[in-house]
Amino acid sequence: MSAASSARPRPLHFAAFVMNTTGHIIQGTWRRPAARQTDFNDLEHWVRLAKTLERGKFDAVFFADVVGLYAPYRGDERKYFEAGLQVPSNDPSVLASAIAYVTEHLGIAFTASVLQEHPFNFARRVSTLDHASKGRIAWNIVTNYLPNASRNFGLEGLTRHDERYEWADEYVDVSYKLWEGSWEEDALLQDRAAGVHADFDKVHKINHEGPRYKVEGPHLVSPSPQRTPLLFQAGASEAGRTFAAKNAEAVFIQSPNLAAAARDTADIRLRAARHGRSGSDIKFFQGLYVVPGSTEAEAKQKAAELDEWIDYDAQLSHISGAIGIDFGHEDLDTPVGELKTEGVQSVVGWIKDLVPDRPATLRDVAHYTATNSRIVGTPEQIADGLARWQAAGVDGINLVNAEIPGSYEEFVDHVAPVLQRRGLMQAEYAAGTLRHKLFGRGDRLPDRHPAARYRGAFAPQRA
Amino acid sequence: MTAKKRLILNLFEMNCVSHITHGLWRLPGNNRERFNDIEYWTELARLLEYGGFDAVFIADVIGTYDVFRGSAETSVREGLQIPNNDPSLVVPAMAAVTRHLGFGITFSTTYEPPFAWARRLSTLDHLTKGRVGWNIVTSYLPNAARNFGLDGELDHGKRYEIADEYLDVLYKLWEGSWDDDAIIADREHNVFADPAKIRPIFHEGTYFKVEGPHLPSPSRQRTPVLFSATASGDGTKFAGKHTEVVFTGGPTTGFLQRTIAGIRQAAVEAGRRPDDVKFITQAGVIVGKTESEALAKRAAYERLSSRDGYLAHAGLTFDPTGLPPETRLVDVADEFSVGRRRAFDPAQTVGEFLSGFGDITRQPLFACGTPDVVADAIEGWLDEVGIDGINLTQYHSYDTARDFIELVVPVLRARGRLRTEYDPDESLRDRIFGAGDRLPDRHYAARYRGGAFLPGRLSPSSPDPGSSNDFKGRDPR
Repeated sequence: MSAASSARPRPLHFAAFVMNTTGHIIQGTWRRPAARQTDFNDLEHWVRLAKTLERGKFDAVFFADVVGLYAPYRGDERKYFEAGLQVPSNDPSVLASAIAYVTEHLGIAFTASVLQEHPFNFARRVSTLDHASKGRIAWNIVTNYLPNASRNFGLEGLTRHDERYEWADEYVDVSYKLWEGSWEEDALLQDRAAGVHADFDKVHKINHEGPRYKVEGPHLVSPSPQRTPLLFQAGASEAGRTFAAKNAEAVFIQSPNLAAAARDTADIRLRAARHGRSGSDIKFFQGLYVVPGSTEAEAKQKAAELDEWIDYDAQLSHISGAIGIDFGHEDLDTPVGELKTEGVQSVVGWIKDLVPDRPATLRDVAHYTATNSRIVGTPEQIADGLARWQAAGVDGINLVNAEIPGSYEEFVDHVAPVLQRRGLMQAEYAAGTLRHKLFGRGDRLPDRHPAARYRGAFAPQRA
Repeated sequence: MTAKKRLILNLFEMNCVSHITHGLWRLPGNNRERFNDIEYWTELARLLEYGGFDAVFIADVIGTYDVFRGSAETSVREGLQIPNNDPSLVVPAMAAVTRHLGFGITFSTTYEPPFAWARRLSTLDHLTKGRVGWNIVTSYLPNAARNFGLDGELDHGKRYEIADEYLDVLYKLWEGSWDDDAIIADREHNVFADPAKIRPIFHEGTYFKVEGPHLPSPSRQRTPVLFSATASGDGTKFAGKHTEVVFTGGPTTGFLQRTIAGIRQAAVEAGRRPDDVKFITQAGVIVGKTESEALAKRAAYERLSSRDGYLAHAGLTFDPTGLPPETRLVDVADEFSVGRRRAFDPAQTVGEFLSGFGDITRQPLFACGTPDVVADAIEGWLDEVGIDGINLTQYHSYDTARDFIELVVPVLRARGRLRTEYDPDESLRDRIFGAGDRLPDRHYAARYRGGAFLPGRLSPSSPDPGSSNDFKGRDPR
């Protein structure tokens, strides 16, 4: 029995990649008859999804977020509204307590930019949610790449790229001090007979003073099950990778192929080791989606039908608006190699690998942003495909949807059972917090994580 | 004869152990220690909705009470609002288990950028289908200021100046940025929202610069019901212009009445009607089936009441507990040292000054007795004092609410002071004012509707997108 079980693969982790909006990654599909992305204002929409995910033993739901409009496309922002492309959008963090209440095991990861809130308040909100969920919260740490978002928060425009990560460094530093250092483990006594609620000698100010923030403390919230939430990050740049190597426990990658995934994961694991961490301290989640069918032919037919709904102009506007280079006036059949705008080759150069036999065009870029990271086939074929991602170094999948709730209901009902039978997906939840579920070594960050240095560090400074 | 005034009934809460009745968390069966658990809040929400409460009103602070005895030691020991958790984040779970209960959420305008808060409230208003209110505060704790990078508290007048601009930004986002019919969701023609009906706000003021547009689409109420807690001069002008439900208080009913009259006057001066503003106060109710049962409860509460908790809460800059009771107050203190809620009376001795602290009965609106006695008192508050509703003080969670629901609610219903059931489909604003989901046209916020007073348009109406797109024109790149 032990031999048989040791031959089984490790399960991959699964998160549902969603956003509190109509058009997240695959644009245009909100128009499909059964699609309910447009119901994102309703709590019931998310409650139902969360229950479906827990039924399917998903590790987590992962909420993306932006706090502004994408940069102009074809000269303005019209396309984003017409496509519902991440606008209107609602705050993801406030969904967490309701989702926590209706589930028992599902992790709840949400994106929050260092731009939108002071770290003192943010740390408090996260701790509140970690208590409410009994330790199931993850924070996807992001800077900001949208000029409009910067201008929503009083800045003139984007912060320089390297400066954004200096900002993020200080932001997490303040948060770590509050989460890990301000309250000692046994500070909360709740001793009714003695009338002592907490031990003052074990609650500490942090007295942080840095270039951007000055924060006295103490943290207002007592230690939550995980203290620091599970730390997600998604930066692909040099500065982003370094930040991930230092801080992240889970990295969301969008590698265009298996070779790139192998390269990306190895690179960040190596960097983590250089920062005194272990490569195994980081789990990598590849973003992709699946189109299952009972036969391969049926799956392909479904994928072809899905492709007809995709709004390729919106797909192109998304990438265009994210990098701040307006492709909107270009002919879609322009070969990518002929685009002269500064910096453009580094962001769309990957397309040439995917279209080796002819000059790749903007139309190819639009098409592949919607269809490259997907697996079409029977559940068995999907399992084979996922096993290949795993062999390339990926630990989990951030599962993109073509529609909500359909994509996830279909996955849970038809794909998950096959994955579970093959040991590629957990069939039961482990007990404990999200961090413990993922790493199996307790609720808290390991001692070699940079946040751990603040444990016991503020003892002399009383509140 | 006009109809009887209906009571606005809220439960006064805070996401912490010891909110305003210090020491009582130790009462047998008190659930306050469970505030970290989401089930504490969902059970409470169900109970309040079962009992017909209008809303749960959640106070908040973002610092510690560390003035008394020179540190937060007393507060930490007492559980006096520390640890405390964010109030807004427990609301969605409560919303998931209720259909009618409203939510008053406290948030300070002093330290956080308005854009994210506007979005969070709109999200909550969407999720609750229009059941959200915002209790606007400007923060008064020095430690809160130091948690957000300042060296100390901003001057009171300046905090209200910031709050006034903060509200202006939020009104532009909530009322002006999106037209009601902006969402088309036209599947056939592939148009989700009509860009011509959505606009940035380009706010540039003394304290804030915000481009917009608002990210959420219009929620049911757009602007949540605006609460504010005040009795000060700057607060009066602010409340007259902005507030729909004033949470006020004071040492005597006479003080209360002057506050109410002052704010109604300020409302009229701001172009509103006197009855556009409702007034709620903190009220203590201890009720029993018999008088002796009520008195026994009161005695049990008094036994555990902690004077230290009240002293720390008041923020005294001196410690009267170490002084002989006959000491003249004027010899050891001045008007700045007696805390933020108390008038300085130079004729008092320290003993007299101290005697009020920890006395749970010592508030202008307090009633203890049988259901009829309590109901008589509440009717007096409504008709004679002139308030419109109460934030019910909790001595024991959930017994205070349970007792009120079991014993007082039926009497108030019989007397026409509470409705017997919820209107199945009304927003919080409609429930309080009976005039629809949105702010009335005469409220300052209404000026931004349809994009009036806003400089920008998102999308051009002319055929040339390059020439008339203000949004693009303002892009610094």
